[in-house]
Amino acid sequence: MNTSTLLRVGDHDAENPIDSNLRLAFSSMKDHHKPPYPLAVPSPSEYSQLTRALVYGILTEPHLANTHLTYLHAIVTDGYSLFTSTLVSLSNESYPKLLETPRSQLLWVSSKLVQVEAVNVQELIIALLRQIKGGNFSDTNLWLCSEIITILSNNWAWLLDEPLVMTSALFVFLRLLSDHYRMSGSEALDKLKRIEVAFTIRVLSDCFPLCLCIGRDLIRLLQDLVNVPEFKDMWLKVLFDPGKFELSEFRDISQFYKRTTPSHYLLLRITPEMEAHLRFLLNRVKWGYEKRYQVWFSKKHLCSPGSETSIIDIVRFICYAHQPSNEIIHPNVTPRWAIISWLLKFCRKNYLVANVKLALFYDWLFFDENVDSIPNIEPAMLLMVNSIDQHVEVTNNLLEFLLVLVDNYDVKRKDIIAKGVSTSFSMLVRKKVVHSLESLSSCNFLSPVLREKLSSVILGAVKKSPMVCTNQVETSHES
Amino acid sequence: MVLLKDIVPTPTNTIDARFILLDKGDVVQDGNATISMALVADETASVHFQLWGDEYQAFEPGDIICLTGGIFSYHKGNLVLRAGKKGKVEKVGEFEMVFVESPNMSEIKWVRDPNNSKAFIQESIISPHSRIFLPSS
Repeated sequence: MNTSTLLRVGDHDAENPIDSNLRLAFSSMKDHHKPPYPLAVPSPSEYSQLTRALVYGILTEPHLANTHLTYLHAIVTDGYSLFTSTLVSLSNESYPKLLETPRSQLLWVSSKLVQVEAVNVQELIIALLRQIKGGNFSDTNLWLCSEIITILSNNWAWLLDEPLVMTSALFVFLRLLSDHYRMSGSEALDKLKRIEVAFTIRVLSDCFPLCLCIGRDLIRLLQDLVNVPEFKDMWLKVLFDPGKFELSEFRDISQFYKRTTPSHYLLLRITPEMEAHLRFLLNRVKWGYEKRYQVWFSKKHLCSPGSETSIIDIVRFICYAHQPSNEIIHPNVTPRWAIISWLLKFCRKNYLVANVKLALFYDWLFFDENVDSIPNIEPAMLLMVNSIDQHVEVTNNLLEFLLVLVDNYDVKRKDIIAKGVSTSFSMLVRKKVVHSLESLSSCNFLSPVLREKLSSVILGAVKKSPMVCTNQVETSHES
Repeated sequence: MVLLKDIVPTPTNTIDARFILLDKGDVVQDGNATISMALVADETASVHFQLWGDEYQAFEPGDIICLTGGIFSYHKGNLVLRAGKKGKVEKVGEFEMVFVESPNMSEIKWVRDPNNSKAFIQESIISPHSRIFLPSS
C-alpha cells in the first residue's frame, strides 16, 4: 500500500515523482537538517538536496517548520529560487492532492517567502491563485481564497512593486466576487466577501493606471459587480466620469475596450488540471470520439453545485487563450465551437446563459483588425452557422443576443460596438471562416426582424430604434 | 509494453500495457472476492478488463492504468485481460489518452494455431465493438 505524508494517494496510485523526490531528499539529508547542523558549506548538489529536504520538512512537519525555515534562511545562497520553484511545481502539478497539513503549510511558507521577497515568489502566488476553483463553495476552496488574500493584504508594500501579481489578484478576486455575491452565505463567506471587496476596491482606487493593462475583460468583470454597493461608485466613475480618477492615462472606458486582455489573465481562472484536459480535448480528441471525454470532464470539473459558473471562464479560455494552430495539424480534431455548444447545455440560469454568451461574443464587440485576431471570434460564428440545420434555436438565440448587445451594451458608445460587430462579420468572410453571410441573412428559420437587423449591422448602418426582443439581456451596462 | 491490438490469449502473466478505463460494469461475487467487468482501451484497440476486489473502487472511468504482468485468458467463459494474482495495476494518470473502441480483443474468436498448438490465432470477429459496453458515439 502506498503511503505519503505529502499527498493523498490511493492504494493503486503510481508513485508521484515529486513526492518521492522530496521524500528521498529528506531522508538522505537527515544528518544535515537536524541539530547539530554541519558547519561546512554544502556543495552545489548538497545544497539542492538540502533545499528539497527542507521543502519536505516544512510541508510535513509543522511542529518543526520554524526550525527548518530558520535553517533555510541560514544556508540560502540563491535568493530562495530553488525552494520557491519547487513549491511552484508542486502547486501546479499536485495541489489538489495535497493533504491538509502540507496544504496549510504551503500557504504559511508562501507568506514567509513574500516577506523575504524570495526570487520567483510572484510565480508561486500566481500558481496558488490558479488553484482557486471558480464557483466552488467548499470550505477548502474558500479557505484558499482567504489565505491568499490575507497574504496580499498584509504585504501591500511588496505588492506595489509587483504589478503582475497585483493585477492578477485583482482579476481573480473580481471574478470570484461575482460568484460569491450570488451566494447568500455563511459567516465565513460573508467575511471573505468583505475582505475581497476591500482588497479589489483598494487596488482599483490606488493603482488604476496599472489596471489598464488587463484590458477589456476587466470591464466584463466589473459590470458583473455593478449591483454590489461598494462597486457602484467605481463603476459610475469608470463609465461616466473618468475625469474623477484625475489620471492623464485614463480618459474614457473605450481605452479598455480597445485593449485585448493578455491570455495570462484568462488562464488564471482555469486550474492547470482543467487547462490540460481542455487542451487535450481540443488538440488530440477526434471529432466523434469526444463524448466520453465530455462526461469525464463534467464529472471532474462541473459537478459540484455552483461550478457551472466556471463555464464563463472556460468559454473565454477556448475563444481567446487556446490557440487553435493544432487544428491545422489535426484536421479531424473536435472543433472549439462544438465544445462550446456542449458547454452551453449546462447553463440553466438566465444570468449564466447571458454571461456565457457575452464571454463568447466579447471580442466581437470591440473587434479591430489591428489588435484582434480572427481565431478569437471564429467559434461564435461557426457555432451559429453550424447550428442552423439541426438547432436553429441556438443560432437564433445567439444572433439575437449579439444584436441586442449592439444596441444596448454601451448606448453612449454604440458606434464602437456596431463597428466592432460589423468588422467581425466582414473579416470572418474575408478570411474565409465562412464563405458568405447568406446562410444567416437568408435563413428562413430566423425571424424576419432578426434578419433585417443583421443586414443593417453587416452594412454598418445601425438603426437607432431598439430591436424587439423577448430575451432580457442581463449583461447590459444599463441593467 | 504491448499495444492492445497485439495481445493474444496466453496462459501466462506476461502482458505489460497502458490503457484508459472507459466503463465499469456491476460488481458480482466470485467466491470470496468481488469481480467486475470493465472496458479499457488504448489507441489501437479495446478489451474487456476484469477488476478484482478493491480494484473496482480504486479506478474510475477516465483513469489511465498501467498493467504489469497481466494475463489475457478465458475466465468463466469470458475472454478478459486482468492483473491476476501475479500482476499489478496502477493509476498513472487521467483523461489525457486517446483510444479506439474497435476492434475489441475480447470480441474475437480465437483458435489454436495449426502450426503451433500452444499459440492462438484470430479466426473471426464476433463483434467489432464490445457487446457489453456499447460505443458512446
